[in-house]
Amino acid sequence: MIRRLLIANRGEIALRIIRACREIGVEAVAIYSDADRHAPHVVAADRSIRVGPPPASESYLSIPAIVDAALASGADAVHPGYGFLSENAAFPAACEQAGLVFVGPPAAVVAAMGSKAGARRMMQDAGVPVVPGATPDDQSDEAVARAIERVGLPALVKASAGGGGKGMRVVAEREDAGDAIRAARREALAAFGDGALYVEKLIAHPRHIEVQIFADAEGRVVHLFERECSVQRRHQKVIEESPSPAISPSVRSQITAAAVRAATIASYRNAGTVEFLVDLSPTRPDAPFYFLEMNTRLQVEHPVTEQVTGTDLVHAQLVVAAGGALPWTQGSIVQRGHAIEARIYAEDPAHGFVPHAGRVLLYREPRAPGVRVDSGVVEGSEVPVHYDPLLAKVIVTAESRDGAIARLSAALRDFPILGVPTNIPFLLQVVEHPAFRSASIDTQFLDSAGAALAGKSTTSLDEAPEIVRAAVAAHVSAASERLSTSVSEDPWDRLQGWRS
Amino acid sequence: MATPRVSRIGEGAYLVENEGQSAIVYVAGPPESPWAFWNGRIFNSASGSPSTAPRPRSERSADERETLTAPMPATVRAVLVRPGAAVKKGDAVVVLEAMKMELPIRAHGDGVVRAVHCAAGELVQPDTVLVELART
Repeated sequence: MIRRLLIANRGEIALRIIRACREIGVEAVAIYSDADRHAPHVVAADRSIRVGPPPASESYLSIPAIVDAALASGADAVHPGYGFLSENAAFPAACEQAGLVFVGPPAAVVAAMGSKAGARRMMQDAGVPVVPGATPDDQSDEAVARAIERVGLPALVKASAGGGGKGMRVVAEREDAGDAIRAARREALAAFGDGALYVEKLIAHPRHIEVQIFADAEGRVVHLFERECSVQRRHQKVIEESPSPAISPSVRSQITAAAVRAATIASYRNAGTVEFLVDLSPTRPDAPFYFLEMNTRLQVEHPVTEQVTGTDLVHAQLVVAAGGALPWTQGSIVQRGHAIEARIYAEDPAHGFVPHAGRVLLYREPRAPGVRVDSGVVEGSEVPVHYDPLLAKVIVTAESRDGAIARLSAALRDFPILGVPTNIPFLLQVVEHPAFRSASIDTQFLDSAGAALAGKSTTSLDEAPEIVRAAVAAHVSAASERLSTSVSEDPWDRLQGWRS
Repeated sequence: MATPRVSRIGEGAYLVENEGQSAIVYVAGPPESPWAFWNGRIFNSASGSPSTAPRPRSERSADERETLTAPMPATVRAVLVRPGAAVKKGDAVVVLEAMKMELPIRAHGDGVVRAVHCAAGELVQPDTVLVELART
């Protein structure tokens, strides 16, 4: 068993892991940068150790500093959380070398799954479906056109050398192929100095569905059902839920079986997630799914799985990392009810979702049946400029999806966070959107509808309803008296100076 | 329309009753830049402004001097006084502008301007001393 665990992370996930440690009698060691000296995760841990200055590259991303901290604090194991070093194969390698148990898969597995092309080949060989595609050996325009025929229309033609959508062309009709190939080739050459093209089947209306898997050192592998994460903004997940409202029981059993196969072929260990794209276009009633990638860590959205399966994934991670057997058999894991998670960020949706830093002046979590809040801040916390602006996650659980949506909506309406702008008003717009309610969205939903919803977020006070203005007036006049500052006696004097 | 009745029910929490209906409104922040939350909506005096704006401060030492400082990064729009001028409590001495908002800086008491440390058009940082007064 692990005796003392160093948590190589910060914020809500560090607190989540500290709580799991406390329940099972493992000592928790927090690390912190100078920006986080009094952060909630530092306060909550049994001991804490500084790893460097505020920039992540010199603190939470510094492998030598973190391994040194683990050794200095007498920890016998390290939990990477998510983000930061969690998917950097050099980190588990350094831990293994220093004699520390790494709570996650072995370095070789992290490295193998980190190579997108390598992971794709491995899955293809194991019979896990991947998005049909190829880089033709013969790169003549004619051969690339034949490759497009093979993967089927619509197709994507893109630079083999790079990502980021550079040189990407959609081929919808057969006769567009020639122009698309020539244009993609020109852009590929210009951007990467390499004109080689990759041809891939285009999934027009993909949904992002992922499967939580878990494996122990004895090679036992189970899945804990799926999570649907199609509400994304620029590939950043915003709302996640389980079960997926979009797939049939038959697709569910196929996709979870494929995920177990993927984990088995990868010699996986500990908690992981297999991500799939599911084609739910009306023309594909069979809902084909394709392996996207494997995440070799605990996910931000792991609580929705915990809520519908009644498990504690972090607890299980610690058991398995110490060499113990999985605490469940496949047959004992059931999916019950419906859970939805919304991520609360310190960002301003009305101004391009720009992240904000600052002091959290007021923070009151909602309390109600079926509402769980995993948070990294408290009232008075400083949100530093250096890191991801995730403040908290609200996870609701109810008997049905409609019940969960109603509960999430009520929880968000009762979650005042003041001092930094948050995306709560935006989340409400999304949750109450007819397309979300009817589960008829795909991964492009927020990129197309999001801008209109974002505009209605933070509101200027002079447009506030009368009850809000009355409360603000009471607050301002009380505060003015207390501070005896230069503020005018009549708070409405302030408002007259505004030009918005 | 009836005036809403406001009762403070806790730190930053206000019960507002109006025409038989009641709601809880949360308010926090300094008087010149308050934040409010009601029913999942967020209100701020200058949506998109720096969220860390410290509140205006006046420091008075034992000999009744007073300094007026900038509460946030701002541009000086107007300086309304000169050294030697007499001011009354509540007189605006400097007008700042930040994030499309005008912010008059006012004297806290009657006095005489000892020194002016800013000029119109100048960009000032938080806690920059704008004007020094001697209390009378």
